[in-house]
Amino acid sequence: MLPGFRIEHGRLPDQAVHDGAPVERVALVGADLPGLRPRLLCEQGDRVRQGQVLFHDRAHPEIVFVSPVSGVVKSITLGPRRSLSALVIRLEADQQEPDPVSMAVSTAVEMRAALLANGFWPAFLTRPFGRIPAPDAVPDAIFVTVTADNPHAPDPRVVLKEQEDVFAAGLRALALLTNGVVHVCQTQGADIAAGCGDRIRGAFFAPGGASGLAGTHIHNLHPVGPGRSVWSIGYQDVLSIGKLIETGVHDFSRVVALAGPRARQPRLIRTIAGASLQDLIRGEAVPGNHGAPLCVLSGPAMNGRPASWLGRYHQQITLVDDAPKHGKASEQGLMARFRRASVQPAPLIPTAALERALAFDIPVVPFLRALSVGDAETASRLGCLELVEEDLAAVSLACTSGADYGRMLRHVLDELAEDS
Amino acid sequence: MTNWLLDSHLKRQRTGWTPARVTLAQLVALAAPAGVSLAERGTAQIAVLMTALATCLVWELAFDLVRGRSLSLHTATVALIFAVLVPPAVPLWQIAMAASFGVVFGELVFGGRGYGIVSGAAAAAGFLVFSFSGTGLSASSEAVALATLPGAVLLLLGGLVSWRVLVSVVVVLVASGLAQEGMSGVLAVLTTSAFGLVFLVADPVAGASTQLGRWVFGILAGLLIVLFDTLAGSAIAPAAIVFASLLASIFAPLIDYAVVELTVRRRRARHG
Repeated sequence: MLPGFRIEHGRLPDQAVHDGAPVERVALVGADLPGLRPRLLCEQGDRVRQGQVLFHDRAHPEIVFVSPVSGVVKSITLGPRRSLSALVIRLEADQQEPDPVSMAVSTAVEMRAALLANGFWPAFLTRPFGRIPAPDAVPDAIFVTVTADNPHAPDPRVVLKEQEDVFAAGLRALALLTNGVVHVCQTQGADIAAGCGDRIRGAFFAPGGASGLAGTHIHNLHPVGPGRSVWSIGYQDVLSIGKLIETGVHDFSRVVALAGPRARQPRLIRTIAGASLQDLIRGEAVPGNHGAPLCVLSGPAMNGRPASWLGRYHQQITLVDDAPKHGKASEQGLMARFRRASVQPAPLIPTAALERALAFDIPVVPFLRALSVGDAETASRLGCLELVEEDLAAVSLACTSGADYGRMLRHVLDELAEDS
Repeated sequence: MTNWLLDSHLKRQRTGWTPARVTLAQLVALAAPAGVSLAERGTAQIAVLMTALATCLVWELAFDLVRGRSLSLHTATVALIFAVLVPPAVPLWQIAMAASFGVVFGELVFGGRGYGIVSGAAAAAGFLVFSFSGTGLSASSEAVALATLPGAVLLLLGGLVSWRVLVSVVVVLVASGLAQEGMSGVLAVLTTSAFGLVFLVADPVAGASTQLGRWVFGILAGLLIVLFDTLAGSAIAPAAIVFASLLASIFAPLIDYAVVELTVRRRRARHG
């Protein structure tokens, strides 16, 4: 390998679940809910129970967001255009578990109402568009992602071990929401979905490349387009839904991988969705080379975001070196004109790496060109409805342009979603 | 304005090609053929190379300064390719004129390498042949063809040259060589065309950019080379490769358009 063509990813995490450091604060963050405008049903200083409704979507009042823990609302910050920035809850010391009650849901209508009322609707993401589905939408199929999208993510089989019954209950709940098939996408091995009914089918994908992404599963099993819509959901959310059905408990616990080159002991830890990363990684980071500052990413190294809170849909915390700051004072003179930082993406040179990085039946160079100029019509004809940001992460890193195609795709998808 | 660039932590993860690395790889690949051409043609060739390099770099500097971009050395590859194609007998002012045309109208007016529609070196060589009567291009010798090989391997391994283009164009040329002179013709075809095929026809920016389109592009370029070839026998005139690569580049967007339409039709059947 040539120098510069290699990157340190750190050791692979130890695939055994440990208890994470206790967290004092959790948050629901707006970065997970793009485009959502909340109507708040609680105030700063309110005491909230686990599972209590905190706010709902203005556009769809049926879609509610519940508190993952019992505690006190510490702060509510709103972002631009009355979107949510973060709603922080400080945990109360005495977490009393409610008595388990089995929920009586057997029909599709009851199941839909139960998931909506208990705040599990946002676990689903539609494809096309990658957004929370409308309360009355019916998908053609549901994809359960029981794969790890990169070697540093938790192994789903480890996380689901000894909880197969709860998981199966969750799968049967999903089958009530669609008239089509529930595809349970997993890596090779025993079929997790065996014996759950004929509409719940296991599908197997060899590990490596983009085979762990929901987009790849959907492309292979039930390609979507303008008139066909499916939903995807993560396996830990299915587990939570199973628990809700069986015990009535709002379980927002997550098993996440703590990994990256700066992680002292890469391993799986059990924590809560939205946990404060500052609390969680205390004592977990090693000093960087040459005193480089630490950058905490929620999500994988390839498309994670620098964050203070664990993302709703994330299963990884990645600790990496932060980029050194180029805070040089503005230069004057002739040479300064050449040293100006580039504000535009560099040219797209069609190399073979681009074709390898996108595992879809899409002509990649014309597609990236359409995205770069914001041509929504061409991008849609070439298949952008099949993709969400995570599918383009590898292409963005392989392309000479240095452009974030995920962000460009989101721009185009938002435009298409408004038109449709 | 929205910032479309990758975040800093993602930028640090980029391990593939950047424009600077592409330029560097092409310069490395070009070093051997350029060196061999210098050794073969003597001091006159040094003057040619220096003139071409100086002209290209001056234009690059001027455009970077006006546009406020960071300095890149992309045009040095144009100068090197052009210098290998030009015989030492050509007056230096003609070389400067042709290099200026190629680098400005082949690349820089479009925004630099990666944005243009034809290869800058091909534009320069085409300008030289068209504008100054009696000027020919220097035929590629066996040594230059041999020196092209390691660079071609480097570019192929790095994915900077499409093997689909190279294979299809070589198949067409070999077939025509076989038809004319049998086995001895094949060798003559390959020696006289190797440099031009790797550095002009297979330029990733000027060629088609879809996988199927690359096959069609290669076949088209090969047929055009055979059509334009003025030399008797199976040897190929360098000007034929230059003009074939220019014309094929102009057809590349049309080829891509057709391939994209086919893909869209296939997708519509599958995705509803």
